[in-house]
Amino acid sequence: MSSTTEQPARDGVGDPEISLAPVTVASPGGLRARFAAIGAQDAALFDVPGPRGRQRIRIATVVSIVVLAVMLAAGVRQFAVNGQLEWSKWQLFTQWPVIRYLLNALWATLQVTLISGAIALPLGALLALARLSRSPLLSRPATLFVEVLRAVPLLLLIYALLLGLPSTGIRIPLFWLLIIPIVLTNAAVLAEIFRAAVKALPRGQTEAAYALGLGYWPAMRLVVLPQAVRLAAPALISQIIRLLKDSTLGYVVSYLELLYSARVLGEFNHTVIQSFVVVAAVFIVANLTLAALAGQVERRIGGAGGRA
Amino acid sequence: MDVIAGNLDVFGQGLLISIQISVSTFVLAGGLGLLLTVCRISPVLPLRLAATAYVELVRSIPLLVLLILFVFGLPEIGLVGPLLGTAVVAMSLYWATFFSETMRSGVRAVPQGQIEAARALGFTFGQVLRLVVLPQALRTIIQPLASLLIAIVLNSSLAAAVGVTQELTGQTQLLDQRYAQPLVTFGAAAICYVAMAFIIGRSAGYLDRRLAVQR
Amino acid sequence: MMSIIRRTGTVAAAGTVLALAAACSGGSSDAGAVPGGGAQATSNADSDAIAALIEAQQPATDLPAGSTAAKIKEKGELTVGGVQTSALFSLLNPTTGKVEGFDAAMSQLLADYIIGEPNTKLVNVTSQTREALIQNGSVDVVFATYTITPERAEKISFAGPYYQDGLGIEVKKGTTGINTLADLNGKTVVTQSASTAPNKITEAAPDAKIQLFETNTEALQALQQGRADAYVIDQSILAGNAVTNDDVEVIGDKFTEDPYGIGLAKDDADFKKFVNTWLQAKIDDGTWARVWQATVGTEVPGDVPTPPTIG
Repeated sequence: MSSTTEQPARDGVGDPEISLAPVTVASPGGLRARFAAIGAQDAALFDVPGPRGRQRIRIATVVSIVVLAVMLAAGVRQFAVNGQLEWSKWQLFTQWPVIRYLLNALWATLQVTLISGAIALPLGALLALARLSRSPLLSRPATLFVEVLRAVPLLLLIYALLLGLPSTGIRIPLFWLLIIPIVLTNAAVLAEIFRAAVKALPRGQTEAAYALGLGYWPAMRLVVLPQAVRLAAPALISQIIRLLKDSTLGYVVSYLELLYSARVLGEFNHTVIQSFVVVAAVFIVANLTLAALAGQVERRIGGAGGRA
Repeated sequence: MDVIAGNLDVFGQGLLISIQISVSTFVLAGGLGLLLTVCRISPVLPLRLAATAYVELVRSIPLLVLLILFVFGLPEIGLVGPLLGTAVVAMSLYWATFFSETMRSGVRAVPQGQIEAARALGFTFGQVLRLVVLPQALRTIIQPLASLLIAIVLNSSLAAAVGVTQELTGQTQLLDQRYAQPLVTFGAAAICYVAMAFIIGRSAGYLDRRLAVQR
Repeated sequence: MMSIIRRTGTVAAAGTVLALAAACSGGSSDAGAVPGGGAQATSNADSDAIAALIEAQQPATDLPAGSTAAKIKEKGELTVGGVQTSALFSLLNPTTGKVEGFDAAMSQLLADYIIGEPNTKLVNVTSQTREALIQNGSVDVVFATYTITPERAEKISFAGPYYQDGLGIEVKKGTTGINTLADLNGKTVVTQSASTAPNKITEAAPDAKIQLFETNTEALQALQQGRADAYVIDQSILAGNAVTNDDVEVIGDKFTEDPYGIGLAKDDADFKKFVNTWLQAKIDDGTWARVWQATVGTEVPGDVPTPPTIG
């Protein structure tokens, strides 16, 4: 099977690869100017508005503020009239035992992310190299593996392993029944990111390495991979962050990650919507924090800016 | 293998529901994504802020969390819809953010000089968008949109996690409980998903070659 | 024991009172306190009563050297295969980190009997992994509303039964036309994924549209909101739902007989005998009935049921 698309990432719970340059705004003009600059790089589509244009924009601004405020108010009201804004339903989340419980759950989620990331990353690199190698004995199986694993839902894979393995007599702890499917699907996705990066390198690099008498593997190890890793760093990092989302499938194997913990909390205290809202907020914070950290790392290693 | 042969209708029905979920999500998310994109490039500041905040926040929430919040959470505040419809809405709200990112990158792929040239010719904003930007932007995002559709198809399986058991993964789960032949049943379901991804990828490749932008 | 206030019309009013009560109690972080600071949150069991029963139990003496029980005592804790989301039987209390319910209490009593302390270590199991975890020795015993079936008994052995239940049907009040499992043909039926219910429903009503949910709350909610016509799961869970939610009712009696057993390793006849002897003693001295009252009985109406006959 040949590569179906050039766009690398698609996976179980994660998302398709989209190169998203973070909106970095280094404007000195205070908060207002900084807000105004959001999306400004797309603003070249229209001319600087004249007096009538400015008038229309002002009207649209007022109208949109009103509409947005009404939407927000309607949402809050919906909570209020159904008694879900009662302090007693939220107070739970200010208590230390509950916070500790959620922090443990967050740690469980991070564990899944870190462990599966640590295994999937090298595995993905190996798969990419195998797929790029000239030996069909290596490239064919690697291609098949990558293409199939990128096209199977993670949930299905977890079920298949959880239910299928016992009948083959293989016994592994439940935790690994979550990690292994996540690693398998993500290794396939990461392999495609690596492969795209390797292919994006100037051919002269590989040719020069060969001319120096290096074989395929030494050339890859010494010349190609180090550059490819830097080139692919942003995509690799955002893919690793997506592992956070994959961990939510832990409920299938009774692994108490953040979402499953919230379900237990909601079941126990009958604070269903509150638990889910809190957990969604925790996921947003975790995700944005990791993304910010990743941004730092990218700048440190020179990331995409270095070469491409 | 008899499990498959004897339950072809179950698989077919599950596949059909999965396709229904995916297609309606794709269309809804596409419309919403377009709206978000327009807001994000509009000169109206509150719209730009709201759309950007929406994309950044919703993208950070795992799809399953959003699904559970919608299916089990919203009824708590008096908003009850049919199970399948609620799942599709939640998925659309999630995927719209990815649509928006994809569309924006497509708009950016159009060389600035072309836009300036069009404006120099006296085109209005609408004309620039309709005649110059969109035709080119759409062509450059065929492949990313195909990837998006494949991701939507694969993640439609998450509907099974919130009780939409009619779709392919859910039906497979039921069949496994009945016949206890996990490797066969889940293998067959996997083949269905791989086939769908393959068809989408191939069609996108074909479209891409036919409509390639010559520069 | 407070009964649960669950999504009924009284929630809003009760909530206000409770908010005041909670404000007075001042958000104490005592780990033993029920979260929520008031009666809003519910515990799944009367943990004081269970603690008293454990206190009163006389631990086993003269465990034969080399026996499974002696090894567990040496280890200092009983490894229990169980779940954390089974209301009334084994539900995690997030504030204490302990599971509460009938299964949880029985496993603590067994641990206390063997070791002298109620030390249990919970290993998460799912309905698909229970046999495997017993077979590879990951757990000493399984307490997980574990229905004794001939297929399962080929792989592992069961002590007990220690509880007798069966599938029941719950519908919204005023529903007509559903009296037996067979009436579910063509209807949308919700149930929990980790149970024997889906198969039983399909056998009796092949055309029923089955929807699987993870927890009791989610399945019950689907029924209450009209997303489903009926909810099929163990009778005692349904009865609990009907007590705390006046818009649903249980139809008739249970439709199947599901004896719950304690899952044990296959070739350990001595340990099985040991557990059965302990279980019989607990039934005879009334401990069993008191555990039922302190757990299942906090939500399920009626008298203590007759304990099942062991063997």
